[in-house]
Amino acid sequence: CKKNFLDLTPTTTISDVAILQDSALFEDYVINRYMGIKIIDKEGEGTLPGFGRAFEYSMWSSNTDESIYNNDDGSWLIQRGQIAPENLGNAGAFWGRSYRGIRDCNWALNNIASVTMSDGHKKNIIGELKFLRAFRYQDLIRNYGGAVLVGDRVYELKDNYSDPALFTRASLKASIDYAVAQLDTAAQLLPRDNGGSWPLGRATKGAALALKARLLLYAASPLYNCGTWAAAAKAAQDVIDLKKYAIQDNYSALFIDQTMAGNEIIFGRQYTITAPHVRMEISNGPNGYDGWAGNTPLQNLVDAYQMDDGKDITDATSGYDAAKPYENRDKRFYYTILYNGASYRGRALEAYIPGGRDSKDGPSNWNTTKTGYYLRKFMNDANPIQNPWSSAGQQPWIYIRYAEVLLNYAEAQNEASGPDETVYDAVNQVRQRASVGQPPLPSGLSQTQMRGAIRKERQVELAFEEHRFYDVRRWKIADVVENTPAYGMIITKNANGSFSYERKVALEGKAFSAKNYWLPIPRPEILASDNKLQQNEGYQ
Amino acid sequence: QSPVKGTVTSSRGERLAGVTVSVVGKTTAVMTDGTGHYAIPAAKGDRLQFTSIGFAAREVAVLGDENIDVVLDNELVAAMNEVVVIGYGTQKKATLTGSVSSVKGDELKKSPQPDVSNSFAGRVSGVIANNRSGEPGYDGSSILIRGLATTGNNDVLVVVDGVPGQIGGLSRLNPNDIEDISVLKDASAAVYGSRAANGVILVTTKKGKSGKPQISYNFNQAFTSPTRLPKLADAFTYATIQNEIAYYNSQDKGMNQIYSEEQLQKFKDGSDPLNYPNTNWPDLVLKKMALQSKHDISVSGGGENVKYFLSAGYLNQDGLYKNGVTRYKQYSFRSNVDANISKRLKVGLLLSGRQEDRMFPQSGAGDIFRFLYRAYPTVAAYYPNGLPTTGIENGNPAIMVTDIPGTNYNPTLVFNGVLKGAYEIPGVKGLALEGMFSVDKSSGFDKNFATPYNLYQYNAATGTYTPNVLGGIDKQATLYQSQTNQYQYVSNIRLNFDRRFDKHSINAFVGYEQSNYHSDNFSAYRKHFPTYTTPELSQGGTADADKSSDGGSYTYTRKSYLGRVAYNYSEKYMAEVQARVDGSSTFGPGHQYGFFPAVSAAWRISNEDWFHKGAVINDLKLRASYGILGNDNVGLFQYFNNYSLNSQYVINGVIVPGYDLTLLANPDITWEKAKKLDIGLNAVFLKHFNLEFIYFQQKRTDILAQRNASVPQLSGINSAIIPAENIGKVDNNGFEFTLGYNKRLDQDAGIYFSGNLTYAKSKIVDIDEAPGTPEWQKQTGRPLNTYLLYNSIGMMRTTDDFSTYPHPTTTPRQGDLVYQDYTKDGKIDANDMVRTKYGNIPQVTYGFTAGGDYKNIDLTILFAGQARVSQYVLPESGTIGNFYSSWADNRWSPSNPGGSYPRVDERASNSVNGGAYPSTFWLNDASFIRLKNVELGYTIVNPLLTRIKLSNVRVYASGFNLFTITKVKDYDPEGSSGSGQFYPQQRIINLGLNLRF
Repeated sequence: CKKNFLDLTPTTTISDVAILQDSALFEDYVINRYMGIKIIDKEGEGTLPGFGRAFEYSMWSSNTDESIYNNDDGSWLIQRGQIAPENLGNAGAFWGRSYRGIRDCNWALNNIASVTMSDGHKKNIIGELKFLRAFRYQDLIRNYGGAVLVGDRVYELKDNYSDPALFTRASLKASIDYAVAQLDTAAQLLPRDNGGSWPLGRATKGAALALKARLLLYAASPLYNCGTWAAAAKAAQDVIDLKKYAIQDNYSALFIDQTMAGNEIIFGRQYTITAPHVRMEISNGPNGYDGWAGNTPLQNLVDAYQMDDGKDITDATSGYDAAKPYENRDKRFYYTILYNGASYRGRALEAYIPGGRDSKDGPSNWNTTKTGYYLRKFMNDANPIQNPWSSAGQQPWIYIRYAEVLLNYAEAQNEASGPDETVYDAVNQVRQRASVGQPPLPSGLSQTQMRGAIRKERQVELAFEEHRFYDVRRWKIADVVENTPAYGMIITKNANGSFSYERKVALEGKAFSAKNYWLPIPRPEILASDNKLQQNEGYQ
Repeated sequence: QSPVKGTVTSSRGERLAGVTVSVVGKTTAVMTDGTGHYAIPAAKGDRLQFTSIGFAAREVAVLGDENIDVVLDNELVAAMNEVVVIGYGTQKKATLTGSVSSVKGDELKKSPQPDVSNSFAGRVSGVIANNRSGEPGYDGSSILIRGLATTGNNDVLVVVDGVPGQIGGLSRLNPNDIEDISVLKDASAAVYGSRAANGVILVTTKKGKSGKPQISYNFNQAFTSPTRLPKLADAFTYATIQNEIAYYNSQDKGMNQIYSEEQLQKFKDGSDPLNYPNTNWPDLVLKKMALQSKHDISVSGGGENVKYFLSAGYLNQDGLYKNGVTRYKQYSFRSNVDANISKRLKVGLLLSGRQEDRMFPQSGAGDIFRFLYRAYPTVAAYYPNGLPTTGIENGNPAIMVTDIPGTNYNPTLVFNGVLKGAYEIPGVKGLALEGMFSVDKSSGFDKNFATPYNLYQYNAATGTYTPNVLGGIDKQATLYQSQTNQYQYVSNIRLNFDRRFDKHSINAFVGYEQSNYHSDNFSAYRKHFPTYTTPELSQGGTADADKSSDGGSYTYTRKSYLGRVAYNYSEKYMAEVQARVDGSSTFGPGHQYGFFPAVSAAWRISNEDWFHKGAVINDLKLRASYGILGNDNVGLFQYFNNYSLNSQYVINGVIVPGYDLTLLANPDITWEKAKKLDIGLNAVFLKHFNLEFIYFQQKRTDILAQRNASVPQLSGINSAIIPAENIGKVDNNGFEFTLGYNKRLDQDAGIYFSGNLTYAKSKIVDIDEAPGTPEWQKQTGRPLNTYLLYNSIGMMRTTDDFSTYPHPTTTPRQGDLVYQDYTKDGKIDANDMVRTKYGNIPQVTYGFTAGGDYKNIDLTILFAGQARVSQYVLPESGTIGNFYSSWADNRWSPSNPGGSYPRVDERASNSVNGGAYPSTFWLNDASFIRLKNVELGYTIVNPLLTRIKLSNVRVYASGFNLFTITKVKDYDPEGSSGSGQFYPQQRIINLGLNLRF
């Protein structure tokens, strides 16, 4: 027998020594920090999750008044206010995934000094890691409130986990200050543009500044109440001043173009045929097309779209006709929502009863909508609905785009100094996108009216992009809007071919209570801390 | 001097071959042939001596009769002289100091279940065998020795013909090739050191015996059917349930939101089978009975210097599905040859091989049964015109089971070769050198070809049938193919010393063993096949995105130093010491070696002079053993930080390489240790009764477990990267009790019975738990594998109950379960969950076997049972699936306010009465007693047979899982699926024929 008979070398893993000795392997490690681990069931289909929830079967929008997820998958209990530390539904991943991501970044930050690479590139990577770490904190802060700040520490298995100091949650202000400081550093270290050794998909200066602007907007908002609107406006202004970004003409193409061309997207994630996400067309498509009617828009959102004359449907002069509710609406309604009668893939959508192919009278009726609507945004008509497995799932997920920055600016500036011209200009840029063409906001709005207009603008412009959930909370209006029943529409085709519309409750039991302004911290985490970690109010 | 002839039979009536018949005082000796016949020249007044291993020798005087039939007694003395296989040797049962159960291959063969692991239940005390599924090819039992003793791996080490962990294992061995099986339950397994903590099963295959060739042919034809299938709701009931669910969602819209009364009536009366079918899916998809056949042939014999046992077997098991492709075929051979090269040198070559051919449809059994139990009875499998429907969610179980969606062919080849040698060293009597070298090879192949197919949607308005293309990708076929090759080399060398000095006997050895295991896997995938007729990788699409491949390998090595000294004085006082030093590549430098010693002793009280034998107690032995055993069954390379390639992130439109941390280092990782104490009493009394009582105690320490609960996630260390650490402690105590009776009533008749009972209860002493865990939820102090559930204490029947009982949601309803407010804080939350008393591993298992023979008829009956065991099953019911009738017929509803099951809900898995608040309502007492095995045989004795060279013909009928008594209503109580969706266990009725030439 050989002397080293028991000493074997694995052939499918490498050690940290190997990672740190080879700058290419080290960079490969850093690249994967854009993704995070899969923690809960039914996430990370195709590829690992990134930040937030993004393209999963039940999207984050289905935890709000934007949509409901037909197959539940842990979204209904959030709609119904039943989320609990032991029952987190589809919201159970942020805590664990964020802290794992932070540790992974910290390990790289603590060791990068020993990696051989050019100083310039090293600076970029340090900036990138700090940006990624701050993004993880954003996921923690906007879901749970004040986070436990771990700094640069890399925890090891042998650490003493009974030390109460480990479980002290920082205040909201301290948490945001920390993340913002990290983003300031990142913005200094990251390149302004993608290209060359810093290809598209890696964070840039603009991404860091835009994330900072978002966090400061949150900080100034009523729920957070720990920052100033002026600082938030200034941070958004800094992004605008980069003069790198602009509103792209085509609203619907923005969410489909997998190359992320144009200059509206500030930070997003690409997918490819071999690294796809959930196949959106089949998972959200109508049953009459063999889709599964996943995230189906609610009437609550449909009602938020103005008429194309710029007036709300509640305005008696808007021309809204309840018998023809889908005529002459804001074009973003047509880009976002599939409604009865909409032309889709060569025919009109039949969400009506009796007999509509996309209703419960259609085929595979367990896959029909409960709301009367289907999701249109993100749908790529070039993808097949049936058998999409080798072509679909390649839309980019946009984390931050310029329209959000403009609306962040408008909101902060309006709150800080009232509806000045820059506020109008920012909102109107968004409204007057070439393919949207909504009339500009009427002049002479009061600060309160402007606030309402911006909120509505965010609701429709950013629908399904994971803003609504956090917006209604930070504005502290969730106890109203999320306590409004989740409405759908029963559409009946009459003998003469006309349609009747009857409002119905699409998901029974929608409810929101004060504790739901924040998510509960997972129960196992509280138990692991021996109850030293402060649970959010109302979930104890 | 004319030849004396006769037949030798055992006291159980079996014809005995290979019995030495000699004339006392002379050199004349012959052996009985395969039918027990002998013929020896002897004269009146001679005395014939009959000897055979395992039987009391007998002398009979020749009185002039030409025919002397002899019955050899294997009841008492034979039992004591019986030799039992132990680790690296054999031992007389009488001098055994450890707890070793042994069972003969002939006994195991009586079970018509082709998987050997299914033959243990009820037969062997201390062995807990649970048959979890009946799918051909995967229908074995999970085996535990004396229950659960660790939170880590509980796998038993299987040693076949001296090869520890032989590739191919126990399950698929041909039962006809097995001579006997020993189960080492206590510290007597310490000689297997680091792998012995969960017990050891030693399998010995048949060897040839000198004498004329004996040819045996066996044919078995079996008829299999599920032990039980759930009864499901019919279309009318299910349609009514759907109405109820819709009503619960919007009560203002009434009770007929989905189906009108007229429509419900149509489901009931079947007047419109196209639009209102009533489908009993299990009836439609499953056969009443499937076939299983088995052919076995063996030849055994040899001369003085060469002995051989050769066998071949063929098994064909059909699946339960109508038009299904599931089947299992097995072809096996064995050639065991022993040769004396010289007076001192013996060698043996044992070669065996088999092909396990598994064929499955595209969907696994779990999926098929999931769809089968969920499929709506309101949907037909086929339209009246014959086209298949979309079933449930585009899964039509009637199609899923066929080859229409493609097949999954999975043949595995196993080869095992063992070369053994023994050399008696000249000069020192009793000293011998023995060695072994074994080669195991296996190659598993998988070819999974998925082809597109159509399911049809009927549009009632237009009367048209629209095809849905399913299967494959982009309406084209796909192929996944993989190959896993394994090999293992084990070699050992031992120096044995076995000698008796007057009343002192010593049996000892020292040895060295090493082994090397390696596994390689490779797989490839293609899609976009232009035609289905070319299911080969070379014939798929050619674009880069059409192909993918994968592969990997791993190795582990072990080296060990081992030895044993056994001493006995007059078979009265026995003592034994054994030890093994084991080295394993699983652990890091400095932690690779472990030491595993054991001591044992026995006192055979009945051999004391003062003990009066024969009165009541014929034999009495007290024994005890204590030792330290190990368990190293954990993932490899946990002693350093592991980083693995995981490329998924897209930059500039292409996937770039990415690395992730996949495991944190635990440089100190080492063996799990089991300290086992065993005290036993063996007795024979009233000549025909035997009794064994064993008390056992096991303390498992340094259990290899992950600190998943106490390491907070905010450390960034989540469970996926936590390595195994030596942290847990579990005690496992219990007893085994066996009582048997065996008596020959006369030459023609005998009876026997035996009952055994094992009680094994684990207690967690130390387990990684979150420090904040409430006392009543802690696992520490409780048995392993318990459930954490809400206590279901009733049902909300009136709206008044809403204020009487706390409830978990703000909107309770009538028909909701009432959960116990364990903390009495006025609300139901996670703190109210309580640990259950039992898990799904039984604490009590028992068996009862009885049998007898009368003339040519023999009968064996085996009952097996379990108790103190629970299984949680929540069916996947709601709008997403059908209901068990037990729920559907007894559900609470506005029209059935007295229902015993909760109101129906959209999805049981998320319902407040189901998965959202898992409760004891869905926990079943999985105790059962079942008639596990019966065999009735008839041996044809007819002189005509010998004319056609047949010496013996036996026909028999046998059965497996014939009936079960249990409180579980809907599924087989041996199942372990939490959703009840599994391929059901099989009831087997078998007819067999045995011919001996």
